[in-house]
Amino acid sequence: MFWPKRIASIAIGIGACFLIQAVAGKMFDFYGLRLVALAGLYVTLAVSLNLINGITGQFSIGHAAFYQIGAYFTGYLSIHYFAAGAGKVGGPVVWLIAMMIVGALGATIAGFVVGLPSLRLRGDYLAIVTLGFGEILRIIVQNQEALGGAYAMKDIPTIQSLWLVWALAFLCIAVCRNLLKTARGLTFVAVREDEVASAAMGVDVTKVKITAFMVGSAFAGAAGALLAHYEGLITPQTFAMDVSFIILTMVVLGGTGSITGSVVAAIFLSYLPEYLRNLKAPDGGTLYVTGATCLQWMLTIFAAVVLIRWISRSLQFPLVQRLGLYAAAVVGALVIGKLLGFGVNLISGLAAIQIDAGQLRMAIFAVALISVMLIRPQGIFAHHELSLTWLRGLVSRKRPAEVSA
Amino acid sequence: MGHGVELLAALNLRTLPEQLANGIFLGAIYALIALGYTMVYGILRLINFAHGEVYMLGAYVSLFASRMLGFGPTSNKTDSSVVNLLIMLTASMIVCACVGVIIERFAYRPMRAHSRIASLITAIGVSLLLQYGGALFLPSSPPPSINEKVIPPVYRESSRIVLQAPPAELQRDLDSTQTIYLDAKKKYDFYMSTHQGVGEFDLAPDGQALHDKYKASLAPFNAAQAKADERSVVITVRHADIIILVTSVVLMGVLTYLVMFTKSGRAMRAVSHDFDSAALMGVNVNNTITFTFVLGSALAGAGSMMQATLKGPPLTTFFGFTPGVKAFVAAVLGGIGNIPGAVLGGLLMGVAEDFVIWLGYSNYSDAIAFVILIIVLLFRPGGILGSSKVEKV
Repeated sequence: MFWPKRIASIAIGIGACFLIQAVAGKMFDFYGLRLVALAGLYVTLAVSLNLINGITGQFSIGHAAFYQIGAYFTGYLSIHYFAAGAGKVGGPVVWLIAMMIVGALGATIAGFVVGLPSLRLRGDYLAIVTLGFGEILRIIVQNQEALGGAYAMKDIPTIQSLWLVWALAFLCIAVCRNLLKTARGLTFVAVREDEVASAAMGVDVTKVKITAFMVGSAFAGAAGALLAHYEGLITPQTFAMDVSFIILTMVVLGGTGSITGSVVAAIFLSYLPEYLRNLKAPDGGTLYVTGATCLQWMLTIFAAVVLIRWISRSLQFPLVQRLGLYAAAVVGALVIGKLLGFGVNLISGLAAIQIDAGQLRMAIFAVALISVMLIRPQGIFAHHELSLTWLRGLVSRKRPAEVSA
Repeated sequence: MGHGVELLAALNLRTLPEQLANGIFLGAIYALIALGYTMVYGILRLINFAHGEVYMLGAYVSLFASRMLGFGPTSNKTDSSVVNLLIMLTASMIVCACVGVIIERFAYRPMRAHSRIASLITAIGVSLLLQYGGALFLPSSPPPSINEKVIPPVYRESSRIVLQAPPAELQRDLDSTQTIYLDAKKKYDFYMSTHQGVGEFDLAPDGQALHDKYKASLAPFNAAQAKADERSVVITVRHADIIILVTSVVLMGVLTYLVMFTKSGRAMRAVSHDFDSAALMGVNVNNTITFTFVLGSALAGAGSMMQATLKGPPLTTFFGFTPGVKAFVAAVLGGIGNIPGAVLGGLLMGVAEDFVIWLGYSNYSDAIAFVILIIVLLFRPGGILGSSKVEKV
């Protein structure tokens, strides 16, 4: 009874995509729809980076580069050939699917090229090479007049297909999940855990690493194609280094190696900036926070992190009691933050600084990244998947198992 | 191919020595930052991503220090001296050292028990926090750029070092036209200084005559100058650049003394050689790491003070990222963990970047760092002075 289950799940997946499109179309305006689409793209990006970073353990922080390749490559093709080609292949959506495949192919080649250094480098060196690759690409694109130069690539035919965005996300999730369930997927995890040992056990490390890079970047490239056709306008800044860092934050926050973790973190973090931007002051204007408030919250978070670290390191309790202690730590940190707030307000000038709440986005990402690393370096879900089995195991467990990093 | 030939033909090889000098001046700053990267990597095996942001904070410290010394946007004070610059340098170095120590204590030390990647992610987080969090509090491109007021005027002038003099007759032409020009300029300047409130375009007839003479003498002088330049090799250096180079060399000398001839320096080298054995031998590892961060961050502070004050690029909280990455590449190029290597790598980086600009690809000057990095890592991962080690189980 294998195939019926699989066909049913595929059908459910495709149905879910159309359901998202239908529901979102009813509920949201143009702006809200764009958020749903961006969330889908970020899910794809986070899960595909998770394949490289979390599952295979090749630390790449240049994922925006593959996204950029997909977007610029297909954007260029669409500008020049859409008018002639779309009718022949049978409509804009088919054209878009073709563009996704083309974008994925382009990014795959780039992924192969970037994957090559990973054969010789590991860890932090590989990270900086991937970062450098992204920057080189961005600088090259910036200097090509044919690609719009430093300003923007305009007039890409807009084909906005929400279900296709989420279909890609589901496909990406399915590929990664199925990979993890198979014997082939075990080799990926083996390379993450110990490269030398897995090579000794007969794993073709070269092949695994290159495959991870190629598959991961293919999905990012397809996502780039979707983005280019959704927005109709892309700039080099759309793919700047902070986008890579945002995707990385999603993977790390969710738990490196956990697909569901990446999905949850991607949806949450892609919504967060919009939430901040939409925050309104009581009188309806833009919400401003003072510098003193920012500092106070930083100190609060710092206190919470210190307390939680102390509890998790020095006290061994069953889970429920530990959760209680964590809650107490958070409350304590809030109290400490409130008390420190009086002191902070005394610093002249800080209270006078007005900060637009929408600008806090990247600072919040940074604080989240550091806090998660300090409290739980393996991420919120660690390498577990969010499932009933895991939750049940979590509650019934007497002592938390030590997870070695 | 045709393009390449044109490119070579367009190059004026007589400017090569000057470009080399400029590259070395640029590289001196990179070398200062690279030392911080290389020392921290040598001890913790951690790419200190936040080092570029420490550098950025140093520039802001020197900005605020210059304001405290009375060179704020509203003051008209212009009588600066070396003392002011030294105060700014010291302030920047001290604050940067403190920031470096704080980052190490609260972000890196708790991560030491975890994997290197976890530390690296924390470092990226700290770097992002300082960039974007700093942008919330610190002014962006604040007026004035520091160097307008606080630098003594003599630093802004340049000197010409003649490596190859032009042929005698050209030199004679140059001298004669220059005498006429300077003479006319002097007379005209004197006239202008005695007739206060008169603009260039509403001169009396006698003033107009002096003005015309001055303008007329300029063209032959420029022509003679251009002719002479074509046949000579001259290096024009700003005095500020020389100050940067000299200060950097002095600081590197101090660093060498501290690392090679003091007890703390010996501890540093021991920890860098073998972390665990050093701890077993009674070296206080935590203090040693703090000392390393003090040294590295103070050097970055000195570099950023000089860059921000004497060169004066626009100051934002993202000011440190690009120099930081380039300096890291410099450290890798020289052999990471190797102190002379960092200096050599920094100088090479500076020269390489300057040559890219010289070739006419100034848009790509930021990309060259990464290209060099990838080439070095692929073909000689240990760097020029380092030794590449195979990782053992």
